[in-house]
Amino acid sequence: MSWVTIVWAMVGSACLMLAAVHLPVWLKDRTAWPSLFLSVLAVATAALALCELAIMKAQTPAAFAAANRAGQVAVWLATLSMVGFVRSYLRSGRAWLGWTVVVLRTATLLPNFLSGRSLNFIEISTLRAIPFLGEEVSVALGTPNPWMLVGQLAMGLLALFVLDASRTAWRRGDRSAALTIGGTSCFFALGGVAQAIMVFWGFVQMPITVSLFSLGIVFAMAYELSRNVRHAASLLGELRESEQHMTLATQAANLGLWTSDIASGTFWASPGTRLLFGFSSSERIELESLLSKVHVDDRDMVRLAFSEAAEGDRAGRYQMEFRVGTSDGGSRWLSAQGHFEFERRRAVRNRGVCSDITPSKAAERETLRLRGEIAHAGRVSVMGQLAAALAHEINQPLGAILRNAEAAAIMLRSGCADLDELRAIVEDIRADDQRAGAVIDRMRSMLRRHQVEVMALNVHELLEDVIALVRPDAAARHIRLALQVPRDLPAVLGDRIHLQQVLLNLIANGMDAIDEAAHQRRNIAVTAMRRGSESVEIAVIDTGAGIPEAQSEQIFGSFFTTKATGMGMGLSISRTLVEAHGGRLWAENVDGGGASLRFTLPASPANEPAMAPPAPERSPERLRITA
Amino acid sequence: MTEPTVHLVDDDVSSLTATSRLLRASGFSVKTFPSASEFLAQCEDDAQGCVVTDLQMPGLNGLDLQSALALVRNPLPLVFLTGHGDIASTVRAMRGGAEDFLEKRAAKEELLDAVRRALLRDAHAREARSRQREREARFRALSVREREVLSHVLRGRLNKQIAGDLGINERTVKMHRTAIMKKLGVRSVAALSQLSQEAGVSAAVMPTFPKGQ
Repeated sequence: MSWVTIVWAMVGSACLMLAAVHLPVWLKDRTAWPSLFLSVLAVATAALALCELAIMKAQTPAAFAAANRAGQVAVWLATLSMVGFVRSYLRSGRAWLGWTVVVLRTATLLPNFLSGRSLNFIEISTLRAIPFLGEEVSVALGTPNPWMLVGQLAMGLLALFVLDASRTAWRRGDRSAALTIGGTSCFFALGGVAQAIMVFWGFVQMPITVSLFSLGIVFAMAYELSRNVRHAASLLGELRESEQHMTLATQAANLGLWTSDIASGTFWASPGTRLLFGFSSSERIELESLLSKVHVDDRDMVRLAFSEAAEGDRAGRYQMEFRVGTSDGGSRWLSAQGHFEFERRRAVRNRGVCSDITPSKAAERETLRLRGEIAHAGRVSVMGQLAAALAHEINQPLGAILRNAEAAAIMLRSGCADLDELRAIVEDIRADDQRAGAVIDRMRSMLRRHQVEVMALNVHELLEDVIALVRPDAAARHIRLALQVPRDLPAVLGDRIHLQQVLLNLIANGMDAIDEAAHQRRNIAVTAMRRGSESVEIAVIDTGAGIPEAQSEQIFGSFFTTKATGMGMGLSISRTLVEAHGGRLWAENVDGGGASLRFTLPASPANEPAMAPPAPERSPERLRITA
Repeated sequence: MTEPTVHLVDDDVSSLTATSRLLRASGFSVKTFPSASEFLAQCEDDAQGCVVTDLQMPGLNGLDLQSALALVRNPLPLVFLTGHGDIASTVRAMRGGAEDFLEKRAAKEELLDAVRRALLRDAHAREARSRQREREARFRALSVREREVLSHVLRGRLNKQIAGDLGINERTVKMHRTAIMKKLGVRSVAALSQLSQEAGVSAAVMPTFPKGQ
């Protein structure tokens, strides 16, 4: 049994196995340099083992020398891969020192092939057989080659390099890696060098077994890397767990996830995303495919949001709501948000999540609709309080028209009509018709259903329109109405009808308060003033009994009323409308009796001119007032 | 004597003009006033005709005008017009003696009819007042003695009894009786009695100096 052959063959095959295991790792992931260097070292070690076996079995000096030379090439390869491994695995080690080692070792290849028999021997005189592991192996007797000092120096420096790198790694905190790699590499490298010096300089006669030392280093490195593999396996387990959790979560929340790797052009979408956008579970999709499912009207907005985020706006984040078409021809509202990841200021990755907000959108629409209905009901209610006075306002001109017409008929029948008088009658009829029409138009604009239209409004005109509506009622109740608006007040931003509704409500309430208190002074003042540079404050001040402290917030609650009739929604609706404008509505008591209801509105930016009130709508069926 | 005039009071100019046009075209004589206070200031004591007034006006409204008129010695009849009436005001107005309460958009026949009734009422009232004045004048023409005798006659006393009560001759009583009848322009005691009643003169009013009752 040739134990030498067996052992050295085992060394070679073990190394080749390890190389075979680790090389594919690097092939799969080109950044796994340690795996590459380990593979190379393992191959080099296997080659070295083969050469050592050949040396031990050499029968002639020529064969010995040939194997020796080949062995040096293997050593060179091993040295390079060790430097590479230490650098890439421990991520430390002085570069200049490493390069020095590499250069020196490479330099030894020249004398290896050109000077004498090999790097170790200038001349081999004879071979001797010595007993080793129960066999006879060859050792050489000859003249040592001084060039091998360069090689041995290189090995010494290699040991230094590894020590230094390990120390840095130890300091950094990678203690176990430093100890394993640093310790074994140093030990075995130094051991190998020591043996080589002893044998080749002739101090000892024994076969070279450097490959065994190298094997030790290979095992240490493989052990370190295998730690990574074990770690990776446990990470895989954790990843699977995590993925399970996420799938559960996204399913429960009906979310869809996606990741788009811009650099490599790959796109991943979760099953939820496919479902939400309406893709089948096997279609190939990309970011563009998502866009193609977005509703035509929303597509530009979505594209813009993506491109702005991709350029770095808002730290690369985007958030948007849009519709996608469903397979049955309907549409679904989705909310998507995510971000772009940047490397060197270029977008390299896009991650996003989307969810189905159709029910909440529908609820939002319904809420808006209901709010509009309530506001409308509030308008109808407050107009109802003015109904008597407004009916009077209309009946006056209508009665006058009737009388004028009757008078004209009598005049015409009598045959001696005064044309001038008739002309005057016709003119008066026209004027009265316009008067009645104006009242109806004002009522109509308050009573019809209304889509919100925000624009810059002139406060003076707004208040005057409202006063015109309330004046008849105030006159009938003997309440004085006064308007105080400074000429230079800025325009406010808001919806005309809604603001008039608020004012109507506040004035109607003020008049009711005055009636209730039955004081001598029956005044309502409507004032407006600037508040800071960005808002305007409007107040309705009455001379009623004031509001009890405890109720100053309660009165704005729904269904709060101290009157026998009425919904009690007036102030609640008014507050909602004011707050929708970005303002505040509150109540204060006035010294000397009475209350003031005040609200703020945002001033319109300076360069927006105030809009004149729209020309009243005239239509033949103006008398049909829809409630 | 002035002509019976419809006095129109309304704060709404076009209403005022239109209603006055109609009334003039229908043959009435009209005077217009833009407010109740102006009417009260300008109207003469012996104004003839009626008042047509709007109910709701700033300052004194129609009902205030009605109250003010009620304090006057010869109040003109009132017709109310309104753009929008409520029951409470209607009741107050009618209780206060208004001739009618109409909506401004009522048919012209209703308005003209109400005006005619009001004018008629005023005419009757004026007539009654003048008759009353005339009656009172006649009674004032009686002397003290004659008044005494009259009160006894009204109590149904016979001439003899009256003579006894007053301590004068029966013939003197008869003489007074004739003078009374002549001055008052009546021929029978029944007529005398009725005239006295109409004039508001009653037996109890006349001072009596009963002798030995």
